[in-house]
Amino acid sequence: MDNNPTAAGAVVLRMRGIVKRYAAVAALQGVDFTLLRGEVMALLGENGAGKSTLVKILAGLERPDAGTIEINGQVIRLRTPTHSLQAGVAYVTQELSIVAPLSVAENICLGGGGRSAIWTSRQLADQVRPFLALVGLDKIDPTTPAGSLSVAQQQLVEIARLLSRNARILILDEPTAALSDAEIEKVKLVVRNLAAEGRSIIYVTHRLGEVFEIADRVTIFRNGRSFEPVRVAGLDIDELIEHLLGRRLEQMFPPRSAGFGPVLLSLHDVVAPGLVKPVSLDLHEGEIFCLAGQLGSGANAVVRAIAGVVPRDAGSITLRTTPQRPRSVRDAISVKIGYCSDDRKRDGIFAVRNLYENLTAPALRRITVAGLLSRKREVAISTKLAQLFEIAADRLGSSAGKLSGGNQQKVALGKWLAIEPSVLLVEEPTRGVDVGARAEIYRHLRTLANRGLAIMVVSSDNQEVLGLADTVATFFRGRLVRIAGANTLKAEELFRDVTHPGDAAAGGIT
Amino acid sequence: MNRREMLIDLGVRAGFMLVIYLVFAVQLPNYHSAAGFAALLDSAVLFGVVSVGVGISMIAGEFDLSVGSLAALTGVIVIQIVGIGVLPALILGVLFAAVIGSLQGLVIGLLGINSLVFTIGTLIGLRGVALLVSHENSVSMPIPLLSETDFFTERFLRVLSPLSVGMVVVFVAFGLFLRFTRWGREIYAIGGGRSEARAAGVPLLRPMVIAFTCSGALAGLGGAALSLRLGSASPLGFETLLIAAVTTCLLGGIGLDGGVGNVVGIAIGLFTLRFLIIGVASMGAPYYVQNLAGGALLIFVIVVQLLATRYRLRSVRKRLSASVG
Amino acid sequence: MRSLRIVADLLQTGSAREIDAALLARRRWITTTFVVLGILILFVAAGVTTPVFLTFQNLLVVIRNASITGIIALGMSYVTISGNLFALSAEELSILSACIFGWLLRAKFGLATSLLVTLVGAGCGGAVQGGIIALGADPIITTLAFGGFFRGVASVVSGNQNILLGTHAAQWLGTGRPLGVPTQSWAFVILTLLAWFVLQKTRIGRLVVLTGANRAAATAAALRVGQGALIGMVLLGVCCGIAGISAPAQFGYAVANLYQGLNFDVIAAILVGGIALRGGQGSPIQAALGAIFISLLENFMLLHDFTTGFRTTVVGALVAAATCLFHVLQRSRA
Repeated sequence: MDNNPTAAGAVVLRMRGIVKRYAAVAALQGVDFTLLRGEVMALLGENGAGKSTLVKILAGLERPDAGTIEINGQVIRLRTPTHSLQAGVAYVTQELSIVAPLSVAENICLGGGGRSAIWTSRQLADQVRPFLALVGLDKIDPTTPAGSLSVAQQQLVEIARLLSRNARILILDEPTAALSDAEIEKVKLVVRNLAAEGRSIIYVTHRLGEVFEIADRVTIFRNGRSFEPVRVAGLDIDELIEHLLGRRLEQMFPPRSAGFGPVLLSLHDVVAPGLVKPVSLDLHEGEIFCLAGQLGSGANAVVRAIAGVVPRDAGSITLRTTPQRPRSVRDAISVKIGYCSDDRKRDGIFAVRNLYENLTAPALRRITVAGLLSRKREVAISTKLAQLFEIAADRLGSSAGKLSGGNQQKVALGKWLAIEPSVLLVEEPTRGVDVGARAEIYRHLRTLANRGLAIMVVSSDNQEVLGLADTVATFFRGRLVRIAGANTLKAEELFRDVTHPGDAAAGGIT
Repeated sequence: MNRREMLIDLGVRAGFMLVIYLVFAVQLPNYHSAAGFAALLDSAVLFGVVSVGVGISMIAGEFDLSVGSLAALTGVIVIQIVGIGVLPALILGVLFAAVIGSLQGLVIGLLGINSLVFTIGTLIGLRGVALLVSHENSVSMPIPLLSETDFFTERFLRVLSPLSVGMVVVFVAFGLFLRFTRWGREIYAIGGGRSEARAAGVPLLRPMVIAFTCSGALAGLGGAALSLRLGSASPLGFETLLIAAVTTCLLGGIGLDGGVGNVVGIAIGLFTLRFLIIGVASMGAPYYVQNLAGGALLIFVIVVQLLATRYRLRSVRKRLSASVG
Repeated sequence: MRSLRIVADLLQTGSAREIDAALLARRRWITTTFVVLGILILFVAAGVTTPVFLTFQNLLVVIRNASITGIIALGMSYVTISGNLFALSAEELSILSACIFGWLLRAKFGLATSLLVTLVGAGCGGAVQGGIIALGADPIITTLAFGGFFRGVASVVSGNQNILLGTHAAQWLGTGRPLGVPTQSWAFVILTLLAWFVLQKTRIGRLVVLTGANRAAATAAALRVGQGALIGMVLLGVCCGIAGISAPAQFGYAVANLYQGLNFDVIAAILVGGIALRGGQGSPIQAALGAIFISLLENFMLLHDFTTGFRTTVVGALVAAATCLFHVLQRSRA
């Protein structure tokens, strides 16, 4: 490997011995990572394997507890995102920083220092045209308001902006998650062009197909450690999957149920925003049904359509024998369907209120007698739910915002029990939850299922799906790939379905 | 919105303005005389100048509720120091108001505080200072100096006066600033998407301070100019300035969320409101009816904007669900 | 020490992970204690420095003013707690209520009818604003607009002159002192208890609180968040109606420039009382205590011959400073 930073193939980034701990958990246990000039390096690994932590450290969003970072041979400290940018590292995430009312050219030029004070549309347009060409947007008028572009185009504008700031190392985090086939092709083209230009790209994805199509090398992360990067050419996909599957604690998951009751909820040819092909499935009493899929798979569209959070464009939803047309959350609750979203901070908990109020929020009517709140009932219900979810009783009086992530998730989830639901829909039940609390939540979900509740879980954590579910439906890019009983589904099959289904059940997906 | 949509939007607003004009023009003879126009323009100066400032703070996604109090305070100060000359007094007054504005911008920007609530405090406080500085009374210029302000009432081209020319200069200057300078576009950026702008690397403090300095300076300019022309200032004056300025901006297409709008729209909104108020006044209604009309118009504009936003959201949602995948 | 650790945490990772239980829980008690202390200190200071303060006449004035400010602050507290910041139309709606009440009495409609119409009308004035805000309009701009509108209507109703009631029917309401306590204070105390009760113990109150605490979560829990906004504004309207009746009842006439500076005093009362601006927290009792403090402060300044300008500046500085202080405190805990 050359030490001359301008030569192609030279080492442009070297990270050594990176350690990062969050409380007791070691997210990264001494990771080494190198990146060559002009290459596309794919990062693969399950949730929590460490790849997002490494990327955040590189982007200046987190600071490592130990280890060194060298860019172009120089040791550097990336303390803030601005430092990173100055060092030439650009981080493109799902959350775009596009200001909608401003034009494309303004979006690209704003925030970059050292330009003239007078800005005319023509001047800006001339300045940004080369960068727009680099990302394949040369046909777009730079004076168009950025808000009128598609998500894919906005993503490319964001990349163009970073290129104009002289980013030499680009980190693309799941760049194709929300894109159509044509748009994905465009992104791949742009990535190849940028690499040909001498820039280096770290491509974080779960879609194995894309790894084979774009990347030169791939680094696999597992349990906080990284493996030696492998050249993609000549790599076998089965080998890859084997590398990626780790063995985790299986004691975390309670034993499955023996059988379930009758069909409770039926979906027939349901289509909703995020789904490309109609979905049909049946949910039984006492069943834990997991919808497995990564970002952009469309799995969460199913539960959101049932919950009335998104409009249902086609198909029918039947509860027992009654057809449902949920147009809002209130409709779903009135038929005893509870829905817990994946973002508890946004809409799962009332951070400033205590647990009594949190746990009874969806079921105010149950604790109301003639317009007045019954403290007795409130305490009774809250205590019962706290017991069920193993929240310490003395915590009931504290504000929900002060609880640990795991306890907060229990509150966000548990409060739905207050409406005595027959169906519980949950997205990402253990996101941001530590291992101990995870095991508890799995136990509680199984207990609820054993009591006759029908539970549908959307999860991007494959281990969780395999351990928790009775039945699994796998999703990839808006399509249902397969439905299988968990005891007949192999880990490799699940993994392949959500990252690279071949000619599997849904027929001809790449 | 792109250029074509913006032109259509401005056209619609201009059309509304013309309708209001015609409604009164057919009933009132002096509505379209040169003298009438001159009076209209002069009466618009205060509101026009201050509205540009309020508009800039709205484009930045913030709000400066203290413009009325600052105008009164500046007017009171300027009248009391007019001994140093009319023009120097005016300049000093505007500088003072600009400093107050920039201080507000600094506090709001550094602390990340809700400008709406903070400027309620300064609205109260500055009014108090105005009362203090003027010893609770209206202040007047000493009589010998009054003649020095005569030039304010000169007429050029039958309809223009130094004040209305000054207003035009303000509109043009700030319009150019907003449209053609980097600092101006930064103001649109922090209004159009605060967290997105920050993530993109736009410094938040500079455009914030600039926006509030503008609104402060222009409030001061309006207060000082009007007080000098009248020869006196009251610490309790300019009470209705805020509502008028907000109405002007909303009528002119400055969104409450920020990031959109321009001075052409403000000018259209200004004249729409002026036509209405002066029309109502010319029909013999007492001044407090004018205030009522102003408040009612603002309510009307708020409701219309609200309904338009809800309609737009609903159609976006429909479009989203139609384009699946 | 714990707070230092939190701050260090905050600086390091940009987000405090576990927020000290005791701190947050004690916050309400801390602010309430401060306000009560402030009231006591002011009381003593006033009594010591100006003998006039402790005279019967002056105390009566203070108690009546505190009651008026307090009644409106109670309504305003619901608006703030429901997450809608402030309503800038409280003063104007009170003025309008006063003028309508005066007009009705002068037109010989009788006390009961006049009272009913005024209160219902004031409630409707609040409801209209609440409805528009519930639909999504900005609360401060909307109430600013309605403030101007109400003031204009009040001027029209009164013809911009004094409305002489021409009857003593309302005199007891304005000047009566059952058991030695002014009627306004009875109203204040009863309303405080009522407001506290409704917020703490009724479903509607819980709806208001949860709407302010996290609107998205409240919507997800199928709560009618629009109602939360509406209730606050209606209550404020009724409070403005009650307060509006007081001056004409007491003095025998209504005019469109009553209650000067009331908006500011009420906003200052909310802030000083310690009700969080982001909503979802606080109690009407805090607003009541804040109103008492502000009224005492105003009286103190008045008795010390502080000019209107000075008094106004003090209130303004108080509002601005309190806003900054609470914002900084909230951020270090969020």
